[in-house]
Amino acid sequence: MSVVYFIFQQTMFFAIPLLIVALGGMFSERSGVVNIALEGIMTMGAFTSILFLNLTGKNMSGQGQLLIAIVIAMATGVVFSLFHAYAAINMKADQTISGTALNMFAPAFAIFVARIIQGVQQVQFSNTFRIESVPVLGSIPVVGDLFFKNTYITTYIGIGILILSAVVLYKTKFGLRLRACGEHPQAADAAGVNVYRMQYAGVMISGALGGLGGLVFVVPTSTNFNATVSGYGFLALAVLIFGQWKPGRILGASLFFGLTKAVAAAYSGIPFLNNMGIPSYLYKMIPYIATLIVLIFTSKNSQAPRASGVPYDKGAR
Amino acid sequence: MKSKILSVALCVSMVAAMLMGCGSSAEQAPAAETENAAAETESVETEEAKTTASDANAEGGYELALVTDLGTIDDKSFNQGAWEGMEKYAKENNISYKYYQPQEGTTDSYIETIGLAIEGGAKLVVCPGFLFEEPVFTVQDQYPDVHFILLDGEPHDADYNYKTGENVMPILFQEDQAGYLAGYAVVKDGYTKLGFMGGMAVPAVIRYGYGFVQGADAAAQEMGVDVEIMYNYTGAFAATPEAQAMAASWYQNGTEVIFGCGGAVGNSVMAAAEEAGAKVIGVDVDQSSESDTVITSAMKQLSVSVYEGVKAFYDGSFPGGATSVFTAENDGVGLPMETSKFETFGQADYDALYAKLSSGEITIENGTEDSTTADLTLAKAAVSFVE
Repeated sequence: MSVVYFIFQQTMFFAIPLLIVALGGMFSERSGVVNIALEGIMTMGAFTSILFLNLTGKNMSGQGQLLIAIVIAMATGVVFSLFHAYAAINMKADQTISGTALNMFAPAFAIFVARIIQGVQQVQFSNTFRIESVPVLGSIPVVGDLFFKNTYITTYIGIGILILSAVVLYKTKFGLRLRACGEHPQAADAAGVNVYRMQYAGVMISGALGGLGGLVFVVPTSTNFNATVSGYGFLALAVLIFGQWKPGRILGASLFFGLTKAVAAAYSGIPFLNNMGIPSYLYKMIPYIATLIVLIFTSKNSQAPRASGVPYDKGAR
Repeated sequence: MKSKILSVALCVSMVAAMLMGCGSSAEQAPAAETENAAAETESVETEEAKTTASDANAEGGYELALVTDLGTIDDKSFNQGAWEGMEKYAKENNISYKYYQPQEGTTDSYIETIGLAIEGGAKLVVCPGFLFEEPVFTVQDQYPDVHFILLDGEPHDADYNYKTGENVMPILFQEDQAGYLAGYAVVKDGYTKLGFMGGMAVPAVIRYGYGFVQGADAAAQEMGVDVEIMYNYTGAFAATPEAQAMAASWYQNGTEVIFGCGGAVGNSVMAAAEEAGAKVIGVDVDQSSESDTVITSAMKQLSVSVYEGVKAFYDGSFPGGATSVFTAENDGVGLPMETSKFETFGQADYDALYAKLSSGEITIENGTEDSTTADLTLAKAAVSFVE
């Protein structure tokens, strides 16, 4: 059983950042703005928050420090995404180009600032945030082992964000207006919705979640931040498409990606899987092949927001 | 919108493919041109060199130059070690020095950057990394009056025709000896389940791994225990969740100590070790300051070797034309015993082993043709190679 728990816990390290960032991408695209700058936003969010962990590491530790870092990561993401929002919404720029520009800018900025502040580009931090076992809940058999051991507070924040996203998107006035702007902004405008404001909101939410995702990505997997999130922002876009722009399906997609990636990375330490003699390449291919197959079968009735990627022009018919 | 993402992805991959294509095809063109260029520049260069040699300081040029490869001078391993060695000599003797970072990781770009350094007044250019083998092969003829120190490689052209000019000092390390020391020490210290996580399977990493396995085997024979070794090349020098998950799964399966041998891969191993309460062996430099889980580091004395090279250049005894190998014999490799956290393996054991290595009593197989350790004959150690 311990192997099952182990795989599950590892899956969470992969799946939670993907989930958070893909949900961020969902808000942006649902409002009608494609945000491929997620990679850059993750990098920026991770950079400022890890820098905070680095600078306060001597005086602070534990969950309080992590919570402040989370706020910083989200704030950074919002500020950084405003560049994209301004270019895409006010200037009606090509959204893929402004996104790419931000993706290229972020790591360069992180390296530059890190060098100025501390001389080297790697930002070290000490990880004091791991929860060995959640009090009371951790001692529940099976469930406790699965969900409440060897975990991070960010895992629960991720789940919380998922629930909140689903509620906001489907059960609130704001969510309805946001979705309307992504489907047919002219109609939404005619009904009295301020399209620009909704799109700004969508992009800023994606910035906040993207920045948070960057922090969540780095903390369990390294002891320093080296100005990269290893392409996970783009992977989150794949999760978003795989999840058909819907919160529930995005959860499924990120868990699937997380599980297959965890198995691909960890199979060599699991005697049962290692002895089956399946080449590691197969494990590594599975998530991408699955994405292709799903896209082939769903592309006919794809759920993509109709106006996503099209700059909103008030005068267009 | 989907098609947009697709088209972007396609564009990116096309650009990437083009860049890579340039990298390999471009190597041919300059190689052919340089013969003429070398002949032309020779006369001009020698005159220039005469003038710059006398009044380089007056002009404000930088006599010592370091050109980095893919990393930066603060990578905590390779480039940094080379930079520190050069900086030390330069500061002691009040010589101007500077580093240059190429725009991209292609042979062309390296050659261009070396040219830039030489235009900036460099008389000695330090090139850390085996990626400089081809660029140095070209520039050694192009700038015969400039001297080069090439770390971790020997100059050759794209077809692997080796030639080392009189103005080039290639430096190689016997990483296998450092790996051997680490493998031997941890098994002697009571660990029997080991892991090796390399970065890319480049010669230096392979030598570390081969030495590590044989050192562990030798100690296992002496102690009469069986040793299991998990063995993998992650394929990149980066900290990723994949590397962390693999290390975590090995620890979960009973592995006690992992040799994190590939730049930032080590940081992922340390993260996994902190989680599992397990141990790590560092690489290249003393990494004990990066995590409490690091029990020792397989080091090569990068800065010492560069310092020696620069010193020899100014003493007029530049050992050009032949490869300098830094081994246990000239203190080129080793473990940092002061910061190591061994319980039973002491300084005396280390010195005894080191003496055997430097006297050549212990020989290590370090063939880099096959990287899977399948070609090693081991008595007491079992390697499970993970693809």
